[in-house]
Amino acid sequence: MAGTVPLFRMEGISKRYGGVRALEKADLTVEPGRIHAILGENGAGKSTLIKVMAGVVSPDEGRMTMEGRPLVFASPAAANQAGIASIFQELSLVPELSVADNIVICDPPKKFGMIDRRAQRRIAEAALARAGADDIHPCALVKDLPLSRRQMVEIAKALARRPRILILDEATSALAAADVARVFSVLKRLRTEGLALLYISHRMNEIAELADECTVFRNGRNVATYAAGTRSEHEVVELMIGREYSHVFPAKPERDFRGATPMLECRNLSWTGRLNDISLTVAPGEVVGLGGLDGQGQRELLLAFFGVLRGMSGKIMVNGRAVRITSPAAARGDAIGMALIPEDRKTEGLMLPMSVRENLSFAALDRLTTAGVIDRAAEQRMIDDMVKLLAIKTAGLDIPVGALSGGNQQKVVIAKWLMRQPGIILLNDPTRGIDVGTKQEMYRLLRRLADEGAAILFYSTDYDELIGCCDRVLVLYDGAISRELTGSELTEHALIASALNLAGGKPGVSPGAAA
Amino acid sequence: MSDTTTGGRIASRMPAFLRRADPAVATAFACIVLLLFLGGLYSPNFLSPEYILQQFKVASFLGVIATGMMLVVLLGQIDLSVPWVVAMGAMMACAAAAYGPAGAALAIPFGVLCGVLIGVVNGIGVAYLRIPSMIVTLATNAVVQGLMVVYTGGFSPQDSAPATIRYLATGFAVPGVPNAVVIWALIGAATVFALTRTSFGRAVYAIGNRERAAYLSGIDTRRVVMIAFALSGGLSAFGGVLLAGYASKAAQAMGDAYLLPAIAAVVLGGTSILGGRGSYLGTVAGVILITLLQSILSVMQMPEAGRQIIYGVVIVAMLLLYGRAPANR
Repeated sequence: MAGTVPLFRMEGISKRYGGVRALEKADLTVEPGRIHAILGENGAGKSTLIKVMAGVVSPDEGRMTMEGRPLVFASPAAANQAGIASIFQELSLVPELSVADNIVICDPPKKFGMIDRRAQRRIAEAALARAGADDIHPCALVKDLPLSRRQMVEIAKALARRPRILILDEATSALAAADVARVFSVLKRLRTEGLALLYISHRMNEIAELADECTVFRNGRNVATYAAGTRSEHEVVELMIGREYSHVFPAKPERDFRGATPMLECRNLSWTGRLNDISLTVAPGEVVGLGGLDGQGQRELLLAFFGVLRGMSGKIMVNGRAVRITSPAAARGDAIGMALIPEDRKTEGLMLPMSVRENLSFAALDRLTTAGVIDRAAEQRMIDDMVKLLAIKTAGLDIPVGALSGGNQQKVVIAKWLMRQPGIILLNDPTRGIDVGTKQEMYRLLRRLADEGAAILFYSTDYDELIGCCDRVLVLYDGAISRELTGSELTEHALIASALNLAGGKPGVSPGAAA
Repeated sequence: MSDTTTGGRIASRMPAFLRRADPAVATAFACIVLLLFLGGLYSPNFLSPEYILQQFKVASFLGVIATGMMLVVLLGQIDLSVPWVVAMGAMMACAAAAYGPAGAALAIPFGVLCGVLIGVVNGIGVAYLRIPSMIVTLATNAVVQGLMVVYTGGFSPQDSAPATIRYLATGFAVPGVPNAVVIWALIGAATVFALTRTSFGRAVYAIGNRERAAYLSGIDTRRVVMIAFALSGGLSAFGGVLLAGYASKAAQAMGDAYLLPAIAAVVLGGTSILGGRGSYLGTVAGVILITLLQSILSVMQMPEAGRQIIYGVVIVAMLLLYGRAPANR
């Protein structure tokens, strides 16, 4: 490599969000005519890396060069201009517009100030042909195309910008096996045309088939770059392990839950392809973790239990009795006694401009009212108890809850549900973005609630937390449970291996979508 | 609550009612005082007790209608069906009164019930069918207009308001205080109680602030939205009944002059047009302010067109002013 200038290079790139470092002095070199795979677990810095390259976020420090010339992106459009195009997991097409309109949407050809429709169609046809999708008519509406075809349009749209580097972020996760194969042959052809491809995927079999080289990220840093095929899957997982932690977890009691009637159980739960045939049980006193990479159906599963999803098939049982939960109101009712600590406390957990008091008692108001009138003395008593129990630090009960720190806001969300003394507690990544001290308080609280007989289902993107807090962890992959880990099996290696759905995770599990 | 910070010390020296006062409400009350002062310069009659009591009486019709509007605006919605629901309430009550003694006894409840029904239709459209409230209430307004025109055959209704309704609007059950003012006070007190002391009130504010969080807290948000629209419809119709009593008869376009003032009163009183924030005291201030403005402009013989222009400008100015307040969302 010495002497030659690489196509693209980033050196010492760092990016912090508040106190959280997403990228820490990351380096990456991209060469033309190669497919470069990026690997790493949740929060390793992959998505921030891509956002920096695509001009969506600007780094705090470090530099990027294209053929030796320094690059600074003020906007995604500037990154496009420089020859970097990206395709994200979520499609960015406008369904009501035609394929050709979508392909040239950023920079339509113009004649006398009006869009030159003939030129537009020519460009679209060329781009579609290059993307290997010349069977798509440029005048078809995007909404009439099936998902896999839309993905091809997305690729054509990126190619129409004549990029030199194409970034694909989980671009195949929505595709069926046959479509994946088509996309792959296109990508391989683009490689021979001299395009540099950056490929982010958690499907190890795809990476094995496509990649020329791989870079593993961990803690916002690139820890290893190697030629594809030179490391075993076991070695790759070892590279990904090792986030730094300083947490202390409460001791797990030695208990056997197998004989007990499960407090919460579901059988063959499925929902629109996002949840596939999920069966699980949670016994009273048990903390069951949900693991896996982000977006494998964990959130949907919790919402399914809480009565938010429509059109779900399968059975949910509470204390051995089949129940139909049609709304959060039904889920929190006395017959079921369920609580959900939602993912985003700012939009789902709290009404930020309202007072701490109003937020705390809101979910339990039906128990504090007679004929709709609030018993303010009883409300005050329960609020005082909760503030003391969770040690919520607030300057007063009548200040807006939005004025509290993140950790204390999260405590308010939990407290508002504990006021109902729920038997079943669902938690959706409750420690995201809160300080270490509050995290530890939360771990102790969870264990105490379990000891008092609650059944807890706990999704976390933090593997260490799952290992430290949970009696049992179910790993989700593609909307299905790919593996159950208990006791000594519950290691970071096993969690990551099964999150990636590797054979090392569990023998005999076939990969989600073999190409 | 300790005096550890300077801000806390300063705040604790202020009287409690000032500390809690919303700047918007304070502004509205300040504007009322200013208007009276300016009016007083023009003619000392503006400061006489008779004039002020008369203004309260006129304000109470708008007050009743604005109460319903405020509930809906707190949810982050709007009710544009006010004009013809007001007219319908008046016309239906007067019509019912024509059917003998039983009709006369049930005239008021019947008029209000018609308004509640339209409100329920609005509520179903907004809460269950997820149609934007601006569209659905505009549509029901048109439908009610059509129904009323069909009912009257295109002419002004001949039914004049019966004695009970006239007494309700213009009589004096309490010496010196017109009944309409007493009714507004009672409705206002009930609304303050509902908004601050009941779970319904908390739910209204919660939905206005963040509907998703309210739903995930296990609140039946759709029911709350529907009840609020039903109340708005009922209160509009009741306002119409009172107006019929005041004018001694129901007329087709009698509600037209109340949509914009009702919205203006709510917004001038500091209720966020996006929902979730606002107090009833503010709405009271807004109603009085609008009524005074109307009265003074008409005494000054400002033509109708000029009044409309001033209304619109005042609303936009206030929205700009309050819209600049730092939002917590």
